[in-house]
Amino acid sequence: MSELTVDAGPPDAGLSKHLTPFNIITGIILAGGAVILGIRFTQGLSATTNLSHNYPWGLWIGFDVMSGVALAAGGFVTSTAVYVFGMKEYKPVVRAAILTGFLGYFLVVLGLLADLGRPWRLPYAFIKSAGPTSPLFEVALCVALYLTVLFIESTPAVLEWLGLKRWRKVVGSLTLGLTIFGLILSTMHQSTLGAMFMATPTKLHPLWYSPHIPVHYFVSAVAAGLAMVIVEGLFSHRAFHHQVEISRQHFENINFGLAKAASVTLGIYCAIKVVALTLEDEWHLLATGWGAWYLFEVIGFFLLPCALFAVAYRERKLLLVRVAAIITVLGIMLNRFNATFIVFNWKLPAAERYMPSWMEIWVTMAFITFAVVVFRWIANHMPIMYEHPDWKGDH
Amino acid sequence: MSISRRGFIGGAAAAALATGTAEAGTVKKFEGYPGRYGLLHDTTLCVGCRSCEVACKEVNGLTPVEAPVGDTEIFDAVRRTTDTSLTVVNRYLEADNDQPAVYRKLQCMHCNEPCCATVCLVQAFEKTPEGPVLYHPELCMGCRYCVMACPYNALAYEYDDPLTPKVMRCTMCYDRIKEGLLPGCAEACPMGAITFGGREELIEIARERIRKFPDRYINHIFGEHEFGGTSWLLLSGVEFGKLDLEEGLTSEPLPAIATSYLGVVPLVVTIYPGLLMGMHAFSKRQQAVAKKEREEAVAQTLEAAEEATQKKLAAAADRAAKDKARAVDTAVKKALAEAEQGGES
Amino acid sequence: MHTLFDFLTYTKALGYIVAGLLLVGFIPFWMFLTEREREE
Repeated sequence: MSELTVDAGPPDAGLSKHLTPFNIITGIILAGGAVILGIRFTQGLSATTNLSHNYPWGLWIGFDVMSGVALAAGGFVTSTAVYVFGMKEYKPVVRAAILTGFLGYFLVVLGLLADLGRPWRLPYAFIKSAGPTSPLFEVALCVALYLTVLFIESTPAVLEWLGLKRWRKVVGSLTLGLTIFGLILSTMHQSTLGAMFMATPTKLHPLWYSPHIPVHYFVSAVAAGLAMVIVEGLFSHRAFHHQVEISRQHFENINFGLAKAASVTLGIYCAIKVVALTLEDEWHLLATGWGAWYLFEVIGFFLLPCALFAVAYRERKLLLVRVAAIITVLGIMLNRFNATFIVFNWKLPAAERYMPSWMEIWVTMAFITFAVVVFRWIANHMPIMYEHPDWKGDH
Repeated sequence: MSISRRGFIGGAAAAALATGTAEAGTVKKFEGYPGRYGLLHDTTLCVGCRSCEVACKEVNGLTPVEAPVGDTEIFDAVRRTTDTSLTVVNRYLEADNDQPAVYRKLQCMHCNEPCCATVCLVQAFEKTPEGPVLYHPELCMGCRYCVMACPYNALAYEYDDPLTPKVMRCTMCYDRIKEGLLPGCAEACPMGAITFGGREELIEIARERIRKFPDRYINHIFGEHEFGGTSWLLLSGVEFGKLDLEEGLTSEPLPAIATSYLGVVPLVVTIYPGLLMGMHAFSKRQQAVAKKEREEAVAQTLEAAEEATQKKLAAAADRAAKDKARAVDTAVKKALAEAEQGGES
Repeated sequence: MHTLFDFLTYTKALGYIVAGLLLVGFIPFWMFLTEREREE
């Protein structure tokens, strides 16, 4: 696995070796993203985004922050299953899930650095003037701490790669504590991202607004995490097939286990949505235009994958598991987009609405590309998809 | 179902959900700073001259108004405040035969319990004892949660500024008030549609006007209680809903609704560690018990196998002994027979 | 303490600090509780 050695061939051969299609495409995307961010910081958000006074939060918040945090939930879900509940059969996917989680949260920070008016002032909330009444303060604090937790949880692979056995032992002993701390932090900030909308009862349509929003967001985050572990496994199992040591059977069993859990979680989500409709006396709203959009989101992207996961688990159909997972991921994104800028300020005329600009989309794609590139490099060099021989069968 | 039930139910449920902080909103009531100022906007007196807009721009050093005073085309579209227009006047009803046109001035309402201040993670907003809500741009990182949260859509942001963007909103001319002057809009209004004074006195004035002219006014002072009350109080001759103001809003302060869930944070932090360590210990115990049962089953199987083997060995030894005895028997019989035959010959 | 905002600022700030201390305090509590288990 030694991409560490330098290619000692003639200069031309060395360069063309790196001009792979993957590198070219990712290079273009990343370069374009950098240029757009350059425009953002020299000409302002108005030059690069379609943000407005009525829609202050757009794609960079709706996707990079809101969806990003939910989709990175696979880290705490799998590590809790393995280290707290002792479900050892999922150990082969924990490291990839934690790494995905870490890169996902890193992407959140990148999104914030692009979107905030003065991103260098991000630490102000902790070192200059704290606003403890703000749900966003809690989110910021928990995300900062959780990023640290994920970083530490990602170091065992690095330490094994570097052969630093004593440090690796020390970090390994912290696993249970970090997992529990991570679950505490995740519960809080996943739900509080939803609680942020408690402040907007007159601006978010009643079908999306509920005193139970925090619970809805946490449950959907668990579903998102499970779905992302499946989706990420779909790509990395193929890309890193030569590294994977577990049998095909074991890998499939993991996917079916995740599918079962996802079906239950999505079922719970749909159930609490029904509860919310009932408690708020909102059933009649389903007959409106916005009601149709609501049904499209909940039935198409939450109830449907719940059923698909259930059938896929019962009949052991891996393809169906993956289809359901992709639908779930899209559903999470749609749900977060709805609250952030689609259903937000729903009383305003359609002409005032927000659509992301191509530059916002490009930058988001660049951030995702960056995460994929880093993931690929780490998985190619470090024991993520397999167990390091010195540490086989550890805890 | 009107939004009133929404706001109320949201508030009541949130109060039930929270542990202690929402009690402050429902059981205890915070009266705010005594003697604070407010403004009374009597929309029945507003003629849409927009002198207040001109004055506001002058006082704050902003770009002049787009359309000159007297231009009526500007009223064809309903405008909102922007980063260069801290206040705007909209026409909500056109004049017809018996009714004059109806106008309303929009700006930051300087709420008693400002939601913008509550949602700001660096506390860049401050409710002053004098009444105005102040914004501190030296703290702001530009997250724009305040712009999202303001129920009156009164806040705007300087998206054109790449490095030093600020939230832009009416300041109630705080510096002028401190010097004993009137806010720019109040001073400029030629019709007396804007009255500046102590909030309590203004409420009395408003009640008096309603009492004196019950046919002229809707019997409601908007801003007296909505979401905990605002410094800007409004009187109207038409339903407030027609002025793009939400009717039937709860009197529960919006910050109480916005922060109700935060009470869960200390609960999660204190309950999860013990609960999860308990679950972990339970799962370890299950694994240990399962392991013991497995070992027991293996031991039993081994014992049973051992017994079976022993039995087989014993049976085989038995059979071997019997075979040997039979062989000996046969040999003896043969020898005897041979001996008999030998004896007879 | 005139406004709800003042009250919330004060109580939430205290809440974060107290929650943090209680969380940290759980560790020595658990170590104390399970000390004999680990001696085996």
